[in-house]
Amino acid sequence: MISRSLIVTNKLGIHARPAGMIVDLTAQMKSNVTFIFEGTRANAKSILNVMMLAVPPRASLTIEIDGEDEEEAFSKLEQLFNDNFNEEPA
Amino acid sequence: MTISTKNQPNSSLPRYLINGLATSPGYAMGRVYKIAAKEFTIVEETITEEAVESELRLFRQTMEKTFKEITKIKESTLERVGQNEARIFDSHLMILKDPSLTLSIQQSVSKDHKSLRWSIHSSITALIQQFESIDSEMMRERALDLRDLYNRIFSILDEAAPTFSVGQFSEPVIFVGHELTPSILISIKSDNVLAFATDSGGRTSHASILARAMQVPSVSGLRNISALAHDGDMMIVDGTLGIIILNPNEDDIADYHNKQDKYRQQQRELFTMRQLEPMTRDGKFITLHANIELPQEAEKVQDFGATGIGLYRSEFLFFGNTLPTVEEQCEAYKHILNSLAPNPVTIRTLDAGGDKLVSEISISNEANPFMGWRSIRVCLDREDIFREQLKALLQANEKGNLRILLPMISGLPELRRSKELIKTCQAELEEEGITTPSVEVGIMIEVPAAVMQVEQLAKEADFFSIGTNDLIQFTLAVDRSNEMIADMFQPHHPAILNMIYNTVIAAHKEGIPVAVCGEMSADPFSILLLIGLGVDELSMTPWSIMEAKKIIRSINYEDVNEIALHALHYDDAACVDSFLHKRFAQAFADLGITSYVPAQKAK
Repeated sequence: MISRSLIVTNKLGIHARPAGMIVDLTAQMKSNVTFIFEGTRANAKSILNVMMLAVPPRASLTIEIDGEDEEEAFSKLEQLFNDNFNEEPA
Repeated sequence: MTISTKNQPNSSLPRYLINGLATSPGYAMGRVYKIAAKEFTIVEETITEEAVESELRLFRQTMEKTFKEITKIKESTLERVGQNEARIFDSHLMILKDPSLTLSIQQSVSKDHKSLRWSIHSSITALIQQFESIDSEMMRERALDLRDLYNRIFSILDEAAPTFSVGQFSEPVIFVGHELTPSILISIKSDNVLAFATDSGGRTSHASILARAMQVPSVSGLRNISALAHDGDMMIVDGTLGIIILNPNEDDIADYHNKQDKYRQQQRELFTMRQLEPMTRDGKFITLHANIELPQEAEKVQDFGATGIGLYRSEFLFFGNTLPTVEEQCEAYKHILNSLAPNPVTIRTLDAGGDKLVSEISISNEANPFMGWRSIRVCLDREDIFREQLKALLQANEKGNLRILLPMISGLPELRRSKELIKTCQAELEEEGITTPSVEVGIMIEVPAAVMQVEQLAKEADFFSIGTNDLIQFTLAVDRSNEMIADMFQPHHPAILNMIYNTVIAAHKEGIPVAVCGEMSADPFSILLLIGLGVDELSMTPWSIMEAKKIIRSINYEDVNEIALHALHYDDAACVDSFLHKRFAQAFADLGITSYVPAQKAK
């Protein structure tokens, strides 16, 4: 299992559209993916869960991934976060 | 609202006359059909161990049916309205498959032994409450999606899904509801609709846009009509004035028949006028173009006598939950361009911001959004989005009839940078093997600074389009939504007339045309001034074109030119208005011009 942090760098935080992009990605992964924000754990394969975290811009998020493709899953997520979900940076 | 005590024909039902917002013109009389918010009975029930299996089976079947139904609605939306509207249903599908919803329901059934109805009710209600408590407006709005889904799932469980099939009505009806949601609208067939009347919703709501596209009269903002009206009640809908009469009396009905006859006659005239040239009696030709909001409207504008599209507001493509792709944009633009070819089509690039928030781009907490991060400023900051739009536009321009219009230009650098980007996009497409025809690039004249620099701008733009709403608002420093000063929003203020005149002089010196695409272009008195000041093109809602044509064919350019040049030196708007009324009110009445309203009330 890996547990690392990522920072949300887009201007609007994780709203509906980035949440959809995250779930599109995690749904293809075999590993379990969990987002932890301010003590709340969320299944990153659920768009409802991810949206409900309401992660604001500049926040730091802990990501736990457990499974055979955990490294690949993390690097893909990292890429998505670094690209600001194709949105404007904060 | 007034309740009359007059005798009712064959009924003792009270007559109501309610003023609302005119959202689509025309007249209709018929029976009310209510689109009621459904109520579902739900009680907390415990089931036996043996029943779990069958409840879970019912659950899978229900979810499958719901998924199919939403997919069907999505497809029909795609076909009838557009890709953007169809996206609403994509997120519904994603939520429907979400494990945090499905697992919670399944566990409630299999572990807690609750009935399926109760499990669905409690799971979705809990989610709605959680969303409503989130401290972010964007997230709170998602609760609406969950409500829509809740209603749909229970409709399917109850097998009471609202189906508005052709066979269900023996005659077309007036649809009355609190608000018409996209999913309801999409399932209504146009043969069944006489009119729409709703409690809420504005001119840009889905219902209004669709009503105009379907050419069905519609009035919204009627506050409590959905509570007052009952199925089968008689109703008159006046979509031109924005009035409805519930349970009309004999006088109302006679009045309705009169108006309807006149309107039909106008419609017939429209057909005969279609072929006539919009030319003044002394032979000056004025181009009449249509403003449209939906790509689908493009097919019909020529029936109204428009010889092109003067303004397609592309931001309507961007109102969905996610940004449209290049392909989606290209398809929408191509539909409009090819429907009108070889006539010109002016497409305005994304004009987000101000009062038009685009969910993914806009910042909603600006202190002063009308003077904020909007329009061309957004486009030049978000070049990624702008370039995608430009590429889609260039690729859609197969027939070479595209004119690109840049909004809210306040200086030369914005025009130069945009033209540079267009060139770059064209070169990039060329590298991909796609050669695109050359395209005219014009600018909106709506910021006073652009008028002050209009001579330089005329040298570098291919055409001007005056956006009168913003130009008046910025020049007179009047926010017309503020009721305290709404009467100061004066289109005929000599300052405005001078700005328009200066724009025309500078444009004609460089040999480029000037269009007016704001609401002024459809006001009968304003038309006289605009033509008098030398404006070449007027662009307006399609149904205003016939009247404009009538006015143009009744006047001499030399007369209105003299009047307009005088008006430039009048003291104030009131002087201009009273002069115009004295001179033309009778002539307009003789022509049968019905739409004129005092200019300061024009909205």
